[in-house]
Amino acid sequence: MSTQTQAPAGSGRPEAVTTTPAIEISGLTKTYGGADTPSVDNVSLSVPAGTVFGFLGPNGAGKTTTIKILSGLLAASSGKTLLNGYDVTRQRAAAMQQFGAVLEGSRNVYWTLSAWQNLLYFGRLKGMTAAHAAARAEELLKGLDLWERREESVGGYSRGMQQKVAVAAALIADPPIVLLDEPTIGLDVEATRTVMEWIRTLSRERGKTVLLTTHQMNVVEELCDRVAVIRKGKVIADMSTDQLLSQFRERDAYEVRIEGDLPELSLPPNFTARRVDDTTIVSGRVSDPQEVYTLVDRLRDQRAVVQSLAQVQPDLEDVFMGLIKGPAHD
Amino acid sequence: MTTLTPTADRAAPANIAQRPGAATYFNGFRNEVHKGLLNFRAGWREVVIQMITFPVFFLLLVLFMGRGQLRDEFLLPGLLGMVSLTFIHEQVNRAFWSYLGDMQSGVLEQTYLTPLPSWTLILGRQVAAVVSALPSALAVLLVGVITIEVRGGDTPFDVQILLPVASIVLGTCGLALILCGLTLVYKRIQIITQFSMAVWFIAGGTFVPLSNMPDVTAFLSRLLVPIAPGLEAIRDILVGGDSLLGLTTGWGLWWVILQPVVLIGIGVVLFGRLERVAKRRGTLGRY
Repeated sequence: MSTQTQAPAGSGRPEAVTTTPAIEISGLTKTYGGADTPSVDNVSLSVPAGTVFGFLGPNGAGKTTTIKILSGLLAASSGKTLLNGYDVTRQRAAAMQQFGAVLEGSRNVYWTLSAWQNLLYFGRLKGMTAAHAAARAEELLKGLDLWERREESVGGYSRGMQQKVAVAAALIADPPIVLLDEPTIGLDVEATRTVMEWIRTLSRERGKTVLLTTHQMNVVEELCDRVAVIRKGKVIADMSTDQLLSQFRERDAYEVRIEGDLPELSLPPNFTARRVDDTTIVSGRVSDPQEVYTLVDRLRDQRAVVQSLAQVQPDLEDVFMGLIKGPAHD
Repeated sequence: MTTLTPTADRAAPANIAQRPGAATYFNGFRNEVHKGLLNFRAGWREVVIQMITFPVFFLLLVLFMGRGQLRDEFLLPGLLGMVSLTFIHEQVNRAFWSYLGDMQSGVLEQTYLTPLPSWTLILGRQVAAVVSALPSALAVLLVGVITIEVRGGDTPFDVQILLPVASIVLGTCGLALILCGLTLVYKRIQIITQFSMAVWFIAGGTFVPLSNMPDVTAFLSRLLVPIAPGLEAIRDILVGGDSLLGLTTGWGLWWVILQPVVLIGIGVVLFGRLERVAKRRGTLGRY
């Protein structure tokens, strides 16, 4: 999916261009004063409009730094960031109208104010008229089941409700891009599910571009069309979620269950055995499936009772862990 | 299940302006003032306590100065000093804590995600802080006036004091801008803010007129302390009977006008620079 009205950086106004990424980052580098190594090192990403983009990485990898540069909250050392074609640094006013953000680890909204007051405040902060902000706030609060409690201070809400208000504040101006930095952190299962449904609705029904960071791989696997993994400030993977999973599927894992103890035999490299109750599970990765059949034959030769042989498909968490534990890609 | 009903069948906002218009600036400013006043209203209990404690503090000070008696010669000059001190204390603290509180809670970053330039919001915060400082300062004034009147004294008023009052308000805003800018970068700055209040109390001429202080102290106070020239002028007018053009103490009318302008100028420049430093260092949301 692509946007219809876009603004090439420096043009001063949007022009009709066929396809411009909703988010474009090129050569982004950020080195904090006093640091030897950059927190974000020559990162380039392109996020097509209308997609849910998972931006993953371990703590301290550079995700939040990248998002803050995208939001104009942090100045980059070098590189360029464009939101719907607007340069965040040089065309700040227009760029700020392209997105709403829920930032990680912060309240995002005023707890002393009510949900209603917060949404009106952030709406007008985004340049909306009072009437427009009120109409939009009403719509959002009703949609998020907060309408009845709109006059209560946000500080008195549950964590999930507070996060709902934060998301509503990010959406108040109906921005085409939504940056969600750990939106489900600290939420219970139900609230997490609600946030996931919002993200799905925003993308699939509203055509929004969502950039999402989270450590919950099930959320990513379920929602994200595309994933980038950042480690030590460098992007080490950037592809569609399916591609990422299929790439790792080439190195499929297998699991052989045998009854009782493991007979005396040498396992292939990358294979381990563990005892679970009355069963021994022998598992590992192979490059050629024939190696597994050879292993099964050897087990049978040792009179082991093979209960099952199964191909273990890697989930995104396995892929992610494999990526971030692997050698750095320079 | 939560649903989000679209208001429009598109993914982009209707109006993408390179720069917001004047009405948007004004609405942003008004929005900031409104938010500041809502926060002020939310903390009304604290305001009520301050409206009691500041006047009590004033009366106690005058009692101490009068060796246990409310003496007329200390009441009016002391009242003028205490009203100014209460104002600067409240204004600076409210502006300062609006920034530090927002940083600590993590909301400050959200307030930067706006097409509006930050000066619009800063101005709004300052105006909200000025308005929020008024109840405590007016409570001191009211108690002081009642005390003077009950004791059979006369509370003078001269319209000429409006200019030095404006000078105090503007100078205080300049100081608040400097402190707010510093807090964007340096997290322990509240120590300086609290310490500065002691300085204003001692060196601001609030209870001991600058003319009774050592020359160096009086010079530095007139030069740097936002309330000092204005307060000196108010005393000259209301107690000494001077006119604005013939102020007998201090450096005269020109400094009453120039000092707040200089402080505001320094505040604006410093805030802008420190804001850029904060964006470079990533301290807007670090606490």
